[in-house]
Amino acid sequence: MPIHPPHAHLYNSVTLEVAKAKLGHAGRKSLYAPLNLVAYIDMMTMLVIFLLMSFSATGEILFVQKNIVLPDAQNWTDLERAPVIGVSKDVVTLDGSQVATSDELMKDSATGDFKIADLHDKLVTLKNNYKLLHPSEDFNGIAIIQSDKNVEFKMLKKIMYSASVAGYQNVNFAVTPKAKGGAAAPPP
Amino acid sequence: MGVSVDTGGKGGKKSVNADLNLVPYIDLLTCMVAFLLITAVWSQLARLEAHQKGQGQAGEETPPEKVFKLVVLVNDSGFNLVADQDQQPIPKKGDSYDYEKLGDELKKIKDTHADKTDIQVASDDAVKFETLVKTMDTALSSRFPDISLIDSGGAGI
Repeated sequence: MPIHPPHAHLYNSVTLEVAKAKLGHAGRKSLYAPLNLVAYIDMMTMLVIFLLMSFSATGEILFVQKNIVLPDAQNWTDLERAPVIGVSKDVVTLDGSQVATSDELMKDSATGDFKIADLHDKLVTLKNNYKLLHPSEDFNGIAIIQSDKNVEFKMLKKIMYSASVAGYQNVNFAVTPKAKGGAAAPPP
Repeated sequence: MGVSVDTGGKGGKKSVNADLNLVPYIDLLTCMVAFLLITAVWSQLARLEAHQKGQGQAGEETPPEKVFKLVVLVNDSGFNLVADQDQQPIPKKGDSYDYEKLGDELKKIKDTHADKTDIQVASDDAVKFETLVKTMDTALSSRFPDISLIDSGGAGI
């Protein structure tokens, strides 16, 4: 009986001639290599679960400005869409555009008037726009003050007064949510 | 690209090997990861509610009968808790404000006046925003949800 060198064998049941010709080359190493995908799928599944747990349906309503450090609070509620007044140690902004500087606000007004004219005018414009765009809805008068934690009340009261005069009676303060135990709060 | 499930097939029986096609599953996972990464919110922010109904301002109705007035005055030396006619100073503990004692006193008042939900936080000019937020937070913890933040001059004390 002649001795043949070993080579790949196909079962007799396989009738495909092309497959036989491809796989029947004696002495050639197969180029097929199985990829182990189990670890990859595990990693992807874990990533999806983590991202789903930290998913927020409301999206990012408020962006933290670089020079503002927010205070912590335990009794918080979710944010709503409203005009955002940013108060840092240097400037006051309304939706990103500057409306006053801290030097102006820290000075005592000669007339005793707390109103910040630029802020007031822009807030009135926003209020009028809201009423035009939502004629069937009541105006809720909510404005969000995003203030640095070291800002003094002297600045804040002028901003709050200007907002109040412009029709924004419900002033909300942006805070960093904190759980009762002191750790960071879970996402709402 | 697949996973083989081998359940036998010896002795001339028909093989029951099956390959699971994982391509759609990996596609789905990749799309979900991309979507969730794009829409992820990394900084969670919230808000504290406050009102601006100081004495004599627009929006405040004149009460027909005498109402129980509750004011927390915040100044450099600490808190001054004004409950109607009574004033109770709560001095600072060292350099920090005594939020714990303020919370205890507010809870005592809440126990005796269960219907009372509103409180005024009256602040001096030099008080920092962080102190005011913690004071309002303490009031909310003591079940006073209707908080008004006003100037100490407007508190009428």
